[in-house]
Amino acid sequence: MSRLSFVLLLLIALIAAIGVFVLKHEVQKLESELANVHRSIVNDQEALHVLKAEWSHLNQPERLKDLASRYLSLAPLAASQIVRFEALPFRAADPAVGILPDSSQPLPGGPTLASAGAEQ
Amino acid sequence: MIRRSAPLSRPCHPCGLDLRPTRGPVIELEGRAKHALETGRTRLVAAGLGFALAFFILAWRLVDLGMGGTAAEPGIAETTTAPLATGRADIVDRNGVVLATTLPTASLYADSRLVPDPVAAAKALAAVLPDSSEAQLAERLASGKAFIWLERQLSPREQYDVNRLGIPGLSFQREMTRVYPQGDLTAHIVGFTNVDNRGLAGMEQAFDERLRGSTDPLALSIDLRVQDLVAVEVAKGIADFDAIGGVGMVLDLQTGELLASVSLPTYDPLKPAAASDEARFNRATLGSYEMGSTFKIFTTAMALEEHVVNLTSGYDATHPIKVGRFTIEDFKGKHRWLSVPEIIIYSSNIGAAQMGRDVGTERQQRYLTALGLTHKADIELLENAAPQVPSPWRDINTLTISFGHGIAVSPLQMITAVGATINGGIFRASTLLKNENGTPGVRILSEDTSADIRWLLRLNALVGSGKRADVAGYLVGGKTGTAEKLTKGHYAKDKRVASFVGAFPMDNPRYLVLVMIDEPKPQAETGAWATGSVVAAPVTGRIIARLGPLLGIAPIAPEIASESDEALIPVVAKAKWGGGRTLASN
Repeated sequence: MSRLSFVLLLLIALIAAIGVFVLKHEVQKLESELANVHRSIVNDQEALHVLKAEWSHLNQPERLKDLASRYLSLAPLAASQIVRFEALPFRAADPAVGILPDSSQPLPGGPTLASAGAEQ
Repeated sequence: MIRRSAPLSRPCHPCGLDLRPTRGPVIELEGRAKHALETGRTRLVAAGLGFALAFFILAWRLVDLGMGGTAAEPGIAETTTAPLATGRADIVDRNGVVLATTLPTASLYADSRLVPDPVAAAKALAAVLPDSSEAQLAERLASGKAFIWLERQLSPREQYDVNRLGIPGLSFQREMTRVYPQGDLTAHIVGFTNVDNRGLAGMEQAFDERLRGSTDPLALSIDLRVQDLVAVEVAKGIADFDAIGGVGMVLDLQTGELLASVSLPTYDPLKPAAASDEARFNRATLGSYEMGSTFKIFTTAMALEEHVVNLTSGYDATHPIKVGRFTIEDFKGKHRWLSVPEIIIYSSNIGAAQMGRDVGTERQQRYLTALGLTHKADIELLENAAPQVPSPWRDINTLTISFGHGIAVSPLQMITAVGATINGGIFRASTLLKNENGTPGVRILSEDTSADIRWLLRLNALVGSGKRADVAGYLVGGKTGTAEKLTKGHYAKDKRVASFVGAFPMDNPRYLVLVMIDEPKPQAETGAWATGSVVAAPVTGRIIARLGPLLGIAPIAPEIASESDEALIPVVAKAKWGGGRTLASN
């Protein structure tokens, strides 16, 4: 009886020791993996930081202006190009387009095209 | 001595711990032996208790840990990577565009004893480092010293190129360097640092502690797009009139934020030592100038607020005013009675001086102090000029200050004070830090007075000296200013400061623009004049024309604009444009 329990205890101690060892090894591996990830995060952050500075440098208004004048046919927006929505005229009746609502019939809940046109 | 009555049944039985009376034979001890045994027993009990206690504590701790009951350890092992520490926080504009940042750079040094072929190495290095000379490199590499600097602060590309050469004996030292990606565009605001990354000028200096102690970027009120367009237009104005410098500022009237503050000429913040003192001088905040006629806005505001005048009253501007040895005259004078709106649109010195006289010295001082014109402006920059105010403040000073002479203030103070007269009468200190909630304001004028000033400035842009600043689609209002520069104690006729302050849209002003051109020379195509109306007003107009669409201010349709402008023409001025009775004949 006592011999059996002794062997059993020894076995348990052995398993526990091996378990602890394996666990420690595992943790060490994870920790070094974590340190690697941290290092690469710091590296990426640094690269990002440099790239942000470069982005700002490349977006100098002076440079963008030069590029825009060479490659785009765009100009700064003028006030005359902006109109209010209410100032937009209704589209004129165009037979080529086809179906247009009958202007004599009032649209549900809205003015007729004719009267709206007259208001303009 | 030992009396053995029977063999021991349990030889290991600890003495004294069994409380049961032993029935069998026991060892009976007597005398000294008994005493020694008693002592040993007591000691054993004490040691046993001690061990028991220690093991109990260990066991309890194990249970405690096993239950996970400790608060000190979080359930999940959190690991956070700290934000990149560069030693100095970035400075960004209001939209997050980087204006100043700290970059790691590599500096190249060599142990010349390890370089096998100095001549070939120097040749290869000179090819990838454009700033270095081959002869100098060869000399240094052949010197035999253990440590020599070859090139400080290489760019990442240069470092890569040097690495690729694979020359033995070369190494890099990592250093942190302050970099300004936007170059000279924001130099006067952002400032610069020394080699140890300590701020020496601008916001770098003013917020040195904050920048070194934090990794959060410092957001300025500056909008880089606005800064650029103002810089371009002011530079054009300077070039057109062959001037020595200029200032352009844009103020958000609702929050007190400066969207742009340009001082030209400017300098490269990476090489501040190479710039002249003139270029490093921030005219917008550190320069103080006699502003001239733009001060008539303040004179009119205080006269209206104190009910000294109303919009239909006026003054006789037929003859110059003589006070002692001074004569106050009008530039292109009308030589007749002028109403208050006419005093503004013709920029009459005689009229403004009389208005100032009626307001009085004491009240003028009080209003100018409330407008922040008699003491240093409240701004973050340390480059902040104290205004030059007369001391003592005689009555003649009151007269000249009414039209902006005899007092010198910085453009920053000027734009802040004009802002207070048109934003509804609230004085709000301007700021260079992003603050969308607005800086706290103090009421100094009534809403009505402010509305009258807005009306007068809009009128001036329609029919007065500010015509060249008007922009189709936006209700612009503003006032010109031309002042002779005080050099060596007297006014120089040919050295002027031409300025314009203009706001838009005038029915609910959102942005205020100040343009000041220093020493414009008269040009053939603009006539013999280099005044605020021909020099600074067109620049302001061009700035507003681009600013409006950029900042999302809805333009108003031309027919609506002309209708509301029709209503603006004052009763007293209508004689000229619409007929009817004129008060000028009264």
